[in-house]
Amino acid sequence: MMGAPEAFDINAVKGMKFFDPHVHMTSRTTDDYQAMADAGVVALIEPAFWLGQPRTGLDSFRDYYSSLIGWERFRSSQFGIKHYCTIGLNSREANNESLAEQVMEILPLFVYKEGVVGIGEIGFDDQTAAEEKYYRLQLELAKEAGLPVQVHTPHRDKKKGTQRSMDIALEHGLDPYSVIIDHNNEETVKEVLDRGFWAAFTIYPFTKMGNERMVEIVKQYGAERIMVNSAADWGISDPLAVPKTASLMKMRGLSDQDIELVTYRNAITAFAQSGQLNETDFNAQIDLTRKFEGNTILRGGQQPRTDKSSIIIS
Amino acid sequence: MRENHMKAVKEIIASVVKNNIDLVTENWLEEFILATDQPAQLAKVFVMLPRKTGKLPVAITNDQQEILHAAGFGYIRNWTIDRLSRVWLLSTLNSEDKDTFYSTVDRLFLAAEINEAVALYSALPFLAHPEIWVKRCAEGIRSNIGSVLEAIIENNPYPSGNLNEAAWNQLVLKAFFTEKNISSIIGLDQRANPDLALTLIDYAKERWAAGRKVNPQLWRLVGKFINAEIFETLKVGLQHYDQIEQRAIALAISESGYQPAKDYINTFPELKLALADGSLNWNSF
Ligand SMILES: [Zn+2]
Repeated sequence: MMGAPEAFDINAVKGMKFFDPHVHMTSRTTDDYQAMADAGVVALIEPAFWLGQPRTGLDSFRDYYSSLIGWERFRSSQFGIKHYCTIGLNSREANNESLAEQVMEILPLFVYKEGVVGIGEIGFDDQTAAEEKYYRLQLELAKEAGLPVQVHTPHRDKKKGTQRSMDIALEHGLDPYSVIIDHNNEETVKEVLDRGFWAAFTIYPFTKMGNERMVEIVKQYGAERIMVNSAADWGISDPLAVPKTASLMKMRGLSDQDIELVTYRNAITAFAQSGQLNETDFNAQIDLTRKFEGNTILRGGQQPRTDKSSIIIS
Repeated sequence: MRENHMKAVKEIIASVVKNNIDLVTENWLEEFILATDQPAQLAKVFVMLPRKTGKLPVAITNDQQEILHAAGFGYIRNWTIDRLSRVWLLSTLNSEDKDTFYSTVDRLFLAAEINEAVALYSALPFLAHPEIWVKRCAEGIRSNIGSVLEAIIENNPYPSGNLNEAAWNQLVLKAFFTEKNISSIIGLDQRANPDLALTLIDYAKERWAAGRKVNPQLWRLVGKFINAEIFETLKVGLQHYDQIEQRAIALAISESGYQPAKDYINTFPELKLALADGSLNWNSF
């Protein structure tokens, strides 16, 4: 995989629209939103995840969930990016059982809210009994609420963890077409697709999937039920992973149609099963300017963009 | 008086809601309103409401609009049906037990997403026991979210009717900072006060120092309180290059009783002329 590094040429994908179905914007800066908007990201899903250290009380969970559907959604809207989320108790924190019990009690309050497009990200980390218990309980909640499920698969012992996640989802009577298995790799993709699930891939430096490998996977398996995300979070990660991967796919000769499917359309199809995601909502910002002609597009105290190449800061 | 007045408004709103939803949804809402365990059910009904009502703008008949307008609630015409239904739902809640009523509604604020928060703050003028929502309203003014702030600041009679002076002043100041539609603040002129005028003047000076413009509506809140000290600042503004700011300051001065300022305006021929022809008013900014 050596060779001269290629620069990200945004012109290769200019005019294309992207959907990042897994990105943790809470841990990113506002500048990232700006860069994502410039690169063509029009909508995203932020799955509820952990903050890098465990929360110690119920109120922190409540505030976190509230921020996903409140402040974070607003911040995103300031750049014309439609923000959705999935709500769930993540696998690591499922291991604090007394707290997990309390979180399960407030989850139904959040999963019916507008713009919540699934239960997620849930699944296994250490593959403990407690993780399994809360994974199962949340699958039941998804069934009751009629929501898709976004499954986080473990870093360690991934293949077994992925199989087990799928087995359990089927055991609970979920339609695999409503379950998105995330963080796949070459070892897991075939089985996930063969069993009828959605296969999501996280383009994340060093640890998960590189986008050159991603190109090869789409070449081998086609574009059906495959989607690409950045899972960018508080780690060294890249919120432009989706447009960059599209750009690389273009350079490596994949068809525009396949690129559109894996970096935009498939995620919409999968998560629209929630009834909470509508492609026409992506343009809300543009409509705003039309509706309030003469008013500024900048709302809520937002300031005009600064010119980053200028030494003068005004 | 206020009770009867609000009762009539609520009846109109009820009929608007019913005209804009289907029978299944109407029955679902009626069932909730008659339920004996309202507090337990409220959160789910409130959250799920848009799925039942849809989110289209409400259709209002001319008769309904006339009555709402006369009562000061004409702005409801611009709402969507989910927002109006949520507000109406809250207005019907059993409020006999004040503590239960408070904790039931306050729980909704605690877990509200953006559209829910907008509806909750829009509902403040329609909630029973207005005095218990003062703190919540003041808290809402601290929000960073544009549409939530707009629900509190613009076209909402609750703040001017209920907030103490400090919270009210904070609302007005925040409205300028976040570039809200100042003339849509209900009670704006009635609740002008010297403290607010002085704070706004400091804000204007900061803007000028940074080379930025000042919203002309700011001077509307200053006119009544012009004294020798404030006049010194107005002079700076009048000597400024910005014509719109100059005209707004001139209008504020014309509404004041401070003669030295009035005399000073007469030394600017264009301003003197603009005031004389009577076309200048706060709606022209
Ligand atoms: Zn994640």
